[in-house]
Amino acid sequence: MSTQQDAGASTEHGNWTAALRTHIANIVPEGQALPDRQPAYVASWIYVFGVLTIASFVVVLASGIVLTVGGYLWWHQASFGRFVNSMHLWSVELFFATMVIHLWGKFWMAAWRGNRALTWITGMIAFLTSIGAAFTGYLSETDFTSQWIAAEGKDGINAIGVGAFFNVLNPSQILLWHVVLLPLGVGVIAVCHVILVRRHGVAPPIDAVAPVAARHGQEA
Amino acid sequence: MAQALTVLTGRYIDWGVISISVTNAVIILLMIIVFVLALLVPFPHDRDDERPPS
Repeated sequence: MSTQQDAGASTEHGNWTAALRTHIANIVPEGQALPDRQPAYVASWIYVFGVLTIASFVVVLASGIVLTVGGYLWWHQASFGRFVNSMHLWSVELFFATMVIHLWGKFWMAAWRGNRALTWITGMIAFLTSIGAAFTGYLSETDFTSQWIAAEGKDGINAIGVGAFFNVLNPSQILLWHVVLLPLGVGVIAVCHVILVRRHGVAPPIDAVAPVAARHGQEA
Repeated sequence: MAQALTVLTGRYIDWGVISISVTNAVIILLMIIVFVLALLVPFPHDRDDERPPS
């Protein structure tokens, strides 16, 4: 009993645990983390391309994990390796196609309206990081194509002044960027992007008004 | 078959400073078609959507 009283007292007076719990609880409005109903204007196919991008990304990650188990030559030698390699390639194609269609839809919808600038910015950072991940993927094919891309790409990378830190002619460095750093970056930014979407709600069409539950923070 | 594939992979569209492979041009065209369809094709509704929110 006294323990419960102590716990209650510490919450009332505040400590970093309680403050963190309150902060996490306030990131997304109540009921909006996994909503089962959406405003009427969301009933359009243009709103499904964001989640299609996430679904494609899950297949990219899963096929990529299988490729890392097999090793960096496996996808040239084994028939199953070639199958997983093809699955990795085509899921990336779908990932970029759905992400760009999502981008087109949000651009023409001016989806940064209603205090959603950070949602737009995290989406753009995720897009740019994904291009880096795809570039290092082409460099990690371990064939003549990747050699040619590395030889051509080094001049571009040197021209922007990062060749000393990001050496496209170093396959081991590029492979580690491709299988660890860049997928982690895309994943973390994508999680932040989705949290922001849930915090502010999906952007309404220009002539529509968002319901109160989906307008967190728009009063500012 | 192999000869046909070689011809296909080497086909490019050159228009002034723009140079793009036929494959990439077709993919971009398909993306534009999917984008337009996403705007025009009606989205299926649930029966639950017709009841007023409680």
